[in-house]
Amino acid sequence: MSALRESCDVAVIGGGPAGLAAALGARRAGAGRVWLLERDKTLGGILNQCVHDGFGLFLYKETISGPEYAERLIEDVAKEPIRVLTGAMVLDLSPERVLRVNARDGYRVVEAGAVVLAMGCRERTRDMIEIPGPRPSGILTAGTAQNLVNLQNLRIGNEAVILGSGDIGLIMARRLVFEGLAVRGVFEIQAWPGGLERNVRQCLMDYGIPLELGSTVVEIRGRDRVESVVVAKVDEALAPVPGTEKVVPCDTLLLSVGLIPENELSRRAGVELSPITGGAVVDETLMTSVPGIFSCGNVLHIHDVADWASFEGFAAGERAARYAAGERGGGETVRVSASSNVRYALPQIVSRGLAGVEWSFRVRHPVRDAAVEVRGRVSGRVYARRKFGRLLPSELQKIKVAPAVEEDLEVVSP
Amino acid sequence: MSERTVVDRLTCVLCPVGCELEVLKDATGELQVEANQCDKGLPFALEEVLRPRRNLATSVPVAGTAARMVSVRLTGPVPREIVFSILAEIAKLRPQAPVRRGQVLIANVLGAGVDVIATRSVR
Repeated sequence: MSALRESCDVAVIGGGPAGLAAALGARRAGAGRVWLLERDKTLGGILNQCVHDGFGLFLYKETISGPEYAERLIEDVAKEPIRVLTGAMVLDLSPERVLRVNARDGYRVVEAGAVVLAMGCRERTRDMIEIPGPRPSGILTAGTAQNLVNLQNLRIGNEAVILGSGDIGLIMARRLVFEGLAVRGVFEIQAWPGGLERNVRQCLMDYGIPLELGSTVVEIRGRDRVESVVVAKVDEALAPVPGTEKVVPCDTLLLSVGLIPENELSRRAGVELSPITGGAVVDETLMTSVPGIFSCGNVLHIHDVADWASFEGFAAGERAARYAAGERGGGETVRVSASSNVRYALPQIVSRGLAGVEWSFRVRHPVRDAAVEVRGRVSGRVYARRKFGRLLPSELQKIKVAPAVEEDLEVVSP
Repeated sequence: MSERTVVDRLTCVLCPVGCELEVLKDATGELQVEANQCDKGLPFALEEVLRPRRNLATSVPVAGTAARMVSVRLTGPVPREIVFSILAEIAKLRPQAPVRRGQVLIANVLGAGVDVIATRSVR
């Protein structure tokens, strides 16, 4: 069997907010042949179903909806000689940067000078969190429900319960109310809301939807269709407390219980992944452990703000273009870990001697009036210290280190 | 000393600082805003307590296409009380393809001074 075999300078896998930016970043850095591969029918990724506003505050200095944000990037891509393949599923990626693609017009093999991973993420499902009970219809992840309502005009039920108070769950609570459904409550396993305070106010409080913290769904009931869920309080170990169960009648259960970077292709290419972020281990250029393969956006770590995913995309695309043009790093590196209340910090690897590096990080628990430090893991030398009035796990934060990095570091918040 | 009660607590979203504002009511019923680090925090908090405004977004089917939807939003926030009335007006919409991003589908909806616009293009 012969396949169409071609080559390009930079191949970007995924055409959402990160991938669109990566393709533009690569072109603007001088890459001649840039390919953008998207498995869906159109570019835009998850933005296409995010009809609410709040996007673009940093990239466009105004707040617009997801589809508007996507369309502006898509128009910029169309102005460049970027080869866009939609309906193109990348089946395999090798460490030598060979992509095997199931494109609309047939099977293709593409050899890339550099690759940018921008595949985004998928949602955690009912099976993955093992909620006991039968498997009636009416159990959906919040993002799936968003797709069905916003893009397919479907009424997904009449009375909903939402598990998880991250922004997707909160946004969908309001969306369902707008479509005439009753939302009986949002249940959140942690002791704090997962999403923005503004969303708790504008999506729940405005409509009298109760938010119950420290609670979870412990059973689903119903044969062909959901009839009710059983919710219970949880203790500090997040285990259900016997005797606190109550039955909540509903016919629809939405799950907003976490996003998982989609790194199947990355694994096939031998990219080292972090068990904490679920995404690649990268250096300050966003290059992974496989030379010439870069990562950005939700496939690298889950973002709360699409603009940041795009900024990462622009940076990764530029670095990929430079790699494809022959630029190589290769000096000594140091490793950066996170501990105490800092759950993770990116990048995990930095060139020794580099100054002015900025880290992105998230905390484990909400905390007030806390300091975050970047310090030598062995020496304890403080390279940077920043005080925060409030730190929330749901908000990605940054800390910049002015002096040159000379040793292994850790990012901590005692 | 006057007796003050906390009417509301909210984080200001006008800039990245995110001041945690408190709105208090004194014995005469007058409202005061505290913990703002700039002037903008005052009207922001007072408006949210006295005259909350909201934007909204939804989607409508596009006539002349195979079940394609166009997402829509308002060009600015409106009084919270008229959100459902505006949704009812939007629910009547069946814009004809092609639709252009930014196209006004309902001008000055219910006299609220904002337009309903398409937020994507549909061919």
